[in-house]
Amino acid sequence: MENIIETKSLTKNFGDLTAVNAVTLNVRKGSLFGLLGPNGSGKTTMIKMLTGQIVPSSGNAHVLGLDVATDPVGIRTLVGIIPEQESPPSFLTAMEYLEFIGDIRKIPDLEQKADWWFDFLEYGDKRNVLCKDLSRGTRQKLMLTQAFIHNPALALIDEPLINFDPIMQDKVKAFFVSYTKQGNTLFISTHLLETAEEICSEVAILHVGNLLYTGTMESVREADRHLSDLFLSLVRT
Amino acid sequence: MAGLFYNMMKEEWRIHSTMFGSLNFALFPVMICAIAFMGTFLLPLIQASMPINDLVILIHAQYLMLGFMVGAFGLLGNEVMNRRFGQASLLAFSARTLPLSPRYIFTIFVLKDTLYYFFLWIFPLGAGFLVGSLFTGIPVFYPLNMLLTLTLSFLTGMSVVFFLSSLYQRSVQALFLFLVFSGLVFLGWFIFIGTNPTTLFPPLILVYQFSWHLLLGSVMLVLVPCCIALLLFSPDFQSGTKNYPNRMKPLIRHLNRFPNPPLAAKDVIDLWRSGSIVGQTIFSFLVPLIIIWFFLSLLDEYVSTIHLLLTFAMITGIIASTMYTWLCMFDSFSIYALLPLHVRDVITSKITSFTLLQVIPIFFMAVITFLSGQGEFLLPVLVLTLSVSYYVLAVSIWLTGLSPNVLVYNGRVMVQYFLLIGIGLSIFGSLTVMNPWFGLAGVGLFIPAFVLVRLGMRKWDREEVVVY
Repeated sequence: MENIIETKSLTKNFGDLTAVNAVTLNVRKGSLFGLLGPNGSGKTTMIKMLTGQIVPSSGNAHVLGLDVATDPVGIRTLVGIIPEQESPPSFLTAMEYLEFIGDIRKIPDLEQKADWWFDFLEYGDKRNVLCKDLSRGTRQKLMLTQAFIHNPALALIDEPLINFDPIMQDKVKAFFVSYTKQGNTLFISTHLLETAEEICSEVAILHVGNLLYTGTMESVREADRHLSDLFLSLVRT
Repeated sequence: MAGLFYNMMKEEWRIHSTMFGSLNFALFPVMICAIAFMGTFLLPLIQASMPINDLVILIHAQYLMLGFMVGAFGLLGNEVMNRRFGQASLLAFSARTLPLSPRYIFTIFVLKDTLYYFFLWIFPLGAGFLVGSLFTGIPVFYPLNMLLTLTLSFLTGMSVVFFLSSLYQRSVQALFLFLVFSGLVFLGWFIFIGTNPTTLFPPLILVYQFSWHLLLGSVMLVLVPCCIALLLFSPDFQSGTKNYPNRMKPLIRHLNRFPNPPLAAKDVIDLWRSGSIVGQTIFSFLVPLIIIWFFLSLLDEYVSTIHLLLTFAMITGIIASTMYTWLCMFDSFSIYALLPLHVRDVITSKITSFTLLQVIPIFFMAVITFLSGQGEFLLPVLVLTLSVSYYVLAVSIWLTGLSPNVLVYNGRVMVQYFLLIGIGLSIFGSLTVMNPWFGLAGVGLFIPAFVLVRLGMRKWDREEVVVY
């Protein structure tokens, strides 16, 4: 199966600190890939490198066939990204922000697409409210919209469900699953193991920058283990 | 009270020592003291080229401006800290988490600023002058009086900014009316009475004619605005879910001749909705420049009006260049980092928005030029203003990219910034002294400006996207 993301010995140092240490992993097309790890394990740094927001110190990575070091803008054209901290522009309304995104990404029929997302995530009444006045959950909905509105083949999401209530979490999880069933790929980073166990098809466990495990959820289940047991056994040793 | 005050002092010290290094920063007042001490011996030499009155005026104007800057930084401090150090917060903004009233915290904050900056900037100058006077035979009264009047100048600046910002927080209209009224009084005084109203600045009069009445007047000039600011101070932050009309689409249409219209449209909306276009124009542009102009115009006995005007054009250009920081202060770069954009795209759009904002300095300088009766020199004045503004903008872009509000506090960057500006301005300053029309040569500054912008774009495209 085609690999959408390929990394080889990907490393990121911040001064003396090695945030990501020689990580080699492949993410297959159509998978819902979960990058798991405790706080400070290097998950966010991985996503930043894969989306060309920061440059790897060594090693290499290709996303959708493009080199993250040489063509970061090309990658960001093709993918959707949600950073860890939701940050839509303070003084634009939700709709204005989507128009801003739409104009930069040259998205046709933006208004219809925006309407669909406002309906789907149930925040149409907030379309003309300034982003700074939106609740955290609504901001997360808006960030989700901006990441998927151009229907990318790959989306990279840092902690996708953290600000949602259980009802919205359920809805978004179902969306993620159906999205990958259409042949798209999702790369999510989370420390919510139950969520990963429920929706991910493949997982990797990162701890202090080192990749401790990578495999399918099926193989975890076949070994008759829970993801949380596997995670804790690897991280605590 | 003592605990909060002590911790605020510590916090202020740490902000500065983190930016400049503990030792460098600790040496700063020592350096001021040494300069003042040595300057006391040089007074006879300085007097030969510049009347002492002018020097006194300039030093007082400088301390008044320092007061303005400290006041403004205090009010924007949280924003600056967040950008400099990430998720930082100052104690002054912690009313929601401390069992203390916001007004009380604000009062302690004002007291802290007063004492901290007295010992940082004012006392060292007075002390250096005092010690120097013991060797030069200058009566001790003068340095002590200077210490008093500089303190009052500084505090006046600080308390006026607190007052204006409290008024602004309450009602933009009220602030606008107040400023128009004050401007008219100043102008009326200037036109009908014939004297520069700045000569009535009490701390300045105190330098020459000390009296207890004048001292009381000066103290009132500090206390009254500060007390009103405290009374007007409103801890309530606006919140709610007000609906706004969609401005993005029409603005993109209007700006479609410029590069990256959505980015420029975002800048326009940010400036308008945040109130910055009004607030920054008043506090960061008009107020400091009008004060500088009034103080500069006190020198017209010794320097011709056109030369003062051209000097003022360069100062206006420098202040106008800071409009770039107005455009970069909203949100962090992370908004753009999610999108298929190069850093150079964002910089280009900021230059577009900056160009739109240059209407303000052009209009302002045109008014000042005509008011000072130098209409015939309008062209060199405007050319000089704009070329300096774009040159300093280019220096900022090259040195700080999209983070001028943050990186300018880096010691090395700051030194490079002042050196590059100093070189450019001293060349054109000297040219205009020879002939006012040489101000037109300011267009030459567009060449290094263009080169610096290109270099800056290349440099910041290569740099990692830093998210503050």
